[in-house]
Parts: sequence; structure tokens; C-alpha cells
Amino acid sequence: MTPELGSKLFDIAYPLFQRITNDDFEYVYRGYFTHNITKKILFLADTNIAKVTYQQSTLQKRIYYIMVEGLQNITRHQDEIANLTTEKYPGIFAIQKNGERYYISTGNIVANDKIPALQEKLDTINSLNQDELKKFHREMLTTGSMSDKGGAGLGLIEMSRKSGNKLLYSFERLDDEYTYFYLQTLIPTDSSFGAADATSKGHSSLDSVKQLHKQMNNENLLLYFNGFFNQENLLSLLAIIKGRMNMPLTTIKVSNVMVEMLQNIIKHGSKQNSSAGISGVFFMGQTGKEIMLTAGNIIKNEAKDVISERLEFVNGMSKDELSDYYDDILLDFDTADAKKTGLGFSDLRIKSDRPLKYRFMNINDDEQFYILQTAVTIKN
Amino acid sequence: MEKLFIEETEDTPEIILDPEQNIFKISKISVPENALDFYKPVLDWLKDYAESPNVQTVFEFDLEYVNTASSKQVIQVILSLQKVAEKSDVKVRWYYESIDEDMKALGNRYKKLVSVPFELVEIE
Repeated sequence: MTPELGSKLFDIAYPLFQRITNDDFEYVYRGYFTHNITKKILFLADTNIAKVTYQQSTLQKRIYYIMVEGLQNITRHQDEIANLTTEKYPGIFAIQKNGERYYISTGNIVANDKIPALQEKLDTINSLNQDELKKFHREMLTTGSMSDKGGAGLGLIEMSRKSGNKLLYSFERLDDEYTYFYLQTLIPTDSSFGAADATSKGHSSLDSVKQLHKQMNNENLLLYFNGFFNQENLLSLLAIIKGRMNMPLTTIKVSNVMVEMLQNIIKHGSKQNSSAGISGVFFMGQTGKEIMLTAGNIIKNEAKDVISERLEFVNGMSKDELSDYYDDILLDFDTADAKKTGLGFSDLRIKSDRPLKYRFMNINDDEQFYILQTAVTIKN
Repeated sequence: MEKLFIEETEDTPEIILDPEQNIFKISKISVPENALDFYKPVLDWLKDYAESPNVQTVFEFDLEYVNTASSKQVIQVILSLQKVAEKSDVKVRWYYESIDEDMKALGNRYKKLVSVPFELVEIE
């Protein structure tokens, strides 16, 4: 293992974190879409939306519905293409909240010869107003002629109807056979429903998803989450990782490590920025034989010394010393607060079987951006 | 003695402490933020149970995840069983999935630290 391994991931943590502000969030899954993962993604997204939409259950339902259609769209296209190809060109699903707007984006490969028909469908849908869409939808239901596979066309119509918006799309040609098909739906909150349109602002948001997809492809990131770190999101992320059961040994190890890593952030983070949890960024990717887990969040200046002291202390011990130390803290009931003893860091180091890497960045007079990174070696 | 039953939630385990059926079991997932409060009723219950326990007490842990905050409380539970063992034949069974080396390691750690009979049971 070279010391540089994963250092590039340190470099991208803060720029990724800065992509969003305030109560916004973005969440991207990249990889193969199984039924199980689709279910977990929906759950995670729904949890996050519920946190910020409050009483607007119509909006929440609308977003949920469009996510379902978007994810089904991916799996439908995926089914038509050989596994090897979808592995080479993994798809993505993204949900973003930007102020009063929600964006649901998907990116997946389609065969080049399917594009003209797909584009025609999209353009037809985009040319219709809400009333016409409703009529068109009814026609499709009765004649069912639009798509061989039954739902594809209907799904697109429904996405447009539920969002009250045009569908934004883009094609990125990959080779002679395949093209990435990006689709984005903008969902405005109730107050502006029906008024918004696919504007130039929308296009820049689709570009931002494409950019993110490119970056995730380059760094081989499988999961990227930017938003509130809280117990609900931790559990949902955990469920998604568990959904990737093609490598059970590694999956369990990654889950065990991730629980400690994220709970550590929830405990140490600077809470002032949001009542919904700690704002932070978490991403997981594969570098060679390692699954790298990187998390970043803002802490107060005062916390920096305490954290680095504990990390150095834990990193400085041999395996045996660490194991003895762990026993000692387990049995030390005077210090009820596990956070004060470095139990979490010790546990992380024992489970990942390597020193913990970290970095602090000065971001303003009072705060630091704190990045913690560890890895799990792929075993099976 | 009244049985203690705590239903599982998405981050706390199911707890069954039932002397009548002779079932003592903590299962599923234990990753709460506040483990201290969650395990308090369990520790209180065991303290009472230690007064007049069953002839035999087989205490089972069948946990999928244990965060560090919980791991400190779980050892308290096991240490409470040492007290129970003064009047009861206590056995602890720690189940772990064969592919989960961390749960196995945690079981071994507990086994080393406590004096009650402690058995690790591998499950597929």
C-alpha cells in the first residue's frame, strides 16, 4: 500500500461538500441496480425528503412517485443490455434538493439504435401541455402501442405529468454501440407547481449531474452522500451497502466500519448549521483491492486538537496495545461517555486493520473541515 | 417475576427476558446513539432477577450490528449475569454469522473479559 492511496479522495472531499449549502442535499448511487438496492434508495431518499418537506406530503408523494418511475426506467434499460456492459458503464441515480427545487436524475446506457425512438418519445411528451398529456396517457393505456416493454413510454409521461414539467434529457455517446442516456425531472414545491419550466437553470443542473457521474466514474465511487448525517440516514446507507451482497465478507466489514465512522461524525460534528443533523459528505469507492470510505464535515476549531490527539494516540499503538486498551475502556464504567475515550476510533482502527487517515482544512476563523478516511480490503 | 419485552426498532434490538418461558435473548441490531438509556431497563431487570433466578439461565446474544456505544452496555449486561450466576447455572451464547469476523472478535473479547461460561456459536 502506498501512502498516496486515497489521497486524491482527500482532495475531492471539500469541493464535493461545497456543492451544496443550507438544508440542501444530494445523494448519488452509482453501479448496478438490483431490486433490493432500488428499494433502499427509495427509502433513503424518502427519509431525507420527509425531513425537509415537513407537512407537504403531496410533494413528498410526488417526488417518491417520480423516483420510482426513474429507477424503473434504469432497471428496464439495464435488463436489455448484457451484464458485462452495464458493469463497464455503471448507471447512476441522483436526487438533489436545491432551494425550492428537487431534481431526480438518472443516467444509464442504452443501445445506440434505440436512441431515435427514445428521443422521439421524449420530444412528443415535451411538446404537450398538461391536458394533452392526460389525454395522451389515456390513449397509451388503451392502445399500449408506445413501448414494446409496456411501461417505458407511460413512465416518461407520468414523470412529466407528476412534475408538471418538461423532461430534460441528454445523450453522451460512449462507443459504436452504446450511449449514456441522462434524464432529469425538476419537481418544484407546491407554491411554484406548474409555473416552472425546463429553463437554462435546469440544463446547468443536468450538466452538474453529468459532471458528478464523470467524477464518480474516474474515482470509481459507488456511493456519494452529501447532506445531513443523522441516525436515519446512517441506517439507510447501511441498508444500501447491505444490498450489495455480491461480496458478503467485504460488505459486512464495510457496514461495520461505516457505522462507527458516521456515528463518530454525528457525535463530533458542529451542530449549529442544521437541526436535521450534521452537514457532511460521505463517499465510498473502490481503489484497487480496497474499498475506501471517506467522510468530511465541519468542526469547531476547538475540536481539532482533541480529535487529532485521539487519532494519533490510537494510530500510535501496536495491535496488541490497542486490543488491551480496548478492553480497558470497555470495563471503565466511570467514563460513561464513549466519545471521551476514543473507543470509536479504536474500534475503527481494529476493524479496518490499518491506521486511520485524516486531514484538517482551515475554512474560516472558527471552523475546520475535518476529513476522516479508512479502508477495507476486499476479501472474496 | 414480570417478563421484560422490548420490541426491536430500526436501531435498537429486540429484548426478551422471560423467566417463565426460560428465554433470555437480545437480538437483531444495536446501534443507537444513546445506548446508556436503552440498556438501563435491561440492567435494572437483571439486578432484580439476580435475587431469585431460575435454576438455569441461558442468555443468548444474536446481534447483527453492535456499535461501540452499545458494546460498553452489552458487557455490563454480561457482568450482571455474573451476579445471577451466584444462584443460577448461567451460560452465555454469542451467535455470529460465519462471515462476520468483527462479531466473532467481539464475542471472543467478551469471553476473555468475563467469568461466566461463554460459548461462541457460528451460524451460516
